[in-house]
Amino acid sequence: MASMEKRLQKELQALLRDPPLGVTVDSDKTSRSLSEWTVDLEGAPGTLYQGEKFQLAFKFGPRYPFESPQVIFTGSNIPVHPHVYSNGHICLSILTDDWSPALSVQSVCLSIVSMLSSCKEKKRPPDNSIYVKTCSKNPKNTKWWYHDDTV
Amino acid sequence: MAEEGTLHYDPDKNYDEETLAQQRIIEKQIAGTQDFVTERLDFSVLEQEYAEDPVYIKKVRSLKSKYLCLRKTRGDGNCFYRAFGFAYFEKLLEDQEEFNRFRDVASKSKDVLVSLGFPQFTIEDFHDTFMEVVDKVGSQCPLEELHKIFNDQGYSDYLVVYLRLLVSGHLQKEADFFSNFVEGDRTIKEFCNQEVEPMGKESDHIHIIALTAVTGVSVRVEYMDRGGETTNAHDFPDGSTPKIALLYRPGHYDILYT
Repeated sequence: MASMEKRLQKELQALLRDPPLGVTVDSDKTSRSLSEWTVDLEGAPGTLYQGEKFQLAFKFGPRYPFESPQVIFTGSNIPVHPHVYSNGHICLSILTDDWSPALSVQSVCLSIVSMLSSCKEKKRPPDNSIYVKTCSKNPKNTKWWYHDDTV
Repeated sequence: MAEEGTLHYDPDKNYDEETLAQQRIIEKQIAGTQDFVTERLDFSVLEQEYAEDPVYIKKVRSLKSKYLCLRKTRGDGNCFYRAFGFAYFEKLLEDQEEFNRFRDVASKSKDVLVSLGFPQFTIEDFHDTFMEVVDKVGSQCPLEELHKIFNDQGYSDYLVVYLRLLVSGHLQKEADFFSNFVEGDRTIKEFCNQEVEPMGKESDHIHIIALTAVTGVSVRVEYMDRGGETTNAHDFPDGSTPKIALLYRPGHYDILYT
């Protein structure tokens, strides 16, 4: 438990001190509980999401960073994207199978910004309606089937 | 996209949750019955395991003619790193000169990783813990303490992560060479992200070659499978004098002692 808190403190300070472009940690909400973070994202200039604002909710378990954080889009604007379900769940391999303890909140945010940036057509995943109806609340309980990381 | 079942698929049922719950139960069962690294064991444990298997019994006999005993490691996909780490650190307890060489390599390795683009503050965490254990070995801590460290998940997993990062760093540094050995159209970076850095991903030849190269530690692997009469030894790198020996059975590595 202690190592999770030490690591998250370090990550939080680094993100507050030197945030990547378009990524802002909500420090008020986050300082209340280190195991749940809210991060604001901005769609990158020159992409389909330019000017849009999104919010990510991070939840960390006691085994973090050996277990991946739970990450979903939250708030009123869920990006319309082939890998983002309308309930905010994200199909991204580093959030489950390809998670590594050397990754961080920052690298997750950058991967999500890059996933949005490379999108060519705004649409929901083809199985959105059935997934949203039957899925668990926690996207980590979904067995994701990654078939195209280039979209 | 979420995986869809094909046979008798009930659209209102959540299958994934059941599958993953089942997986967690199995992992817990393994964790409850098997140390990360066991005490030294007599080969009779393997003879019992293969009592009904004439092919493997023959191979265990051939192993017994070359080695004294073994330590088993937990089959959690990290066994190669844990077996390598423990066997080598155990060796370092009695070899000051080799320790001095390795300490230097290990201490400089962080800057190499950072120069390859790994984020400093996550690398630092793992490197600090790794060096803490290296220095315990340098102070010639009792073997029981080293054994305890490797069975304490808080330490043990940090060591595994750092060894994984060393492998990843070496593969990326020598990407031109290693890209010939990666199947499919993945880049070395993608291969490292998917098959090296995540915990629990099993190790193949390419991982062993990279870890022995980056640490400068030669390893003998005794391969035990269905073919032939005896186990087959392979040294990494070829022609070197191995510091440690590992037993490979399909999908798993344990430690061998002469």
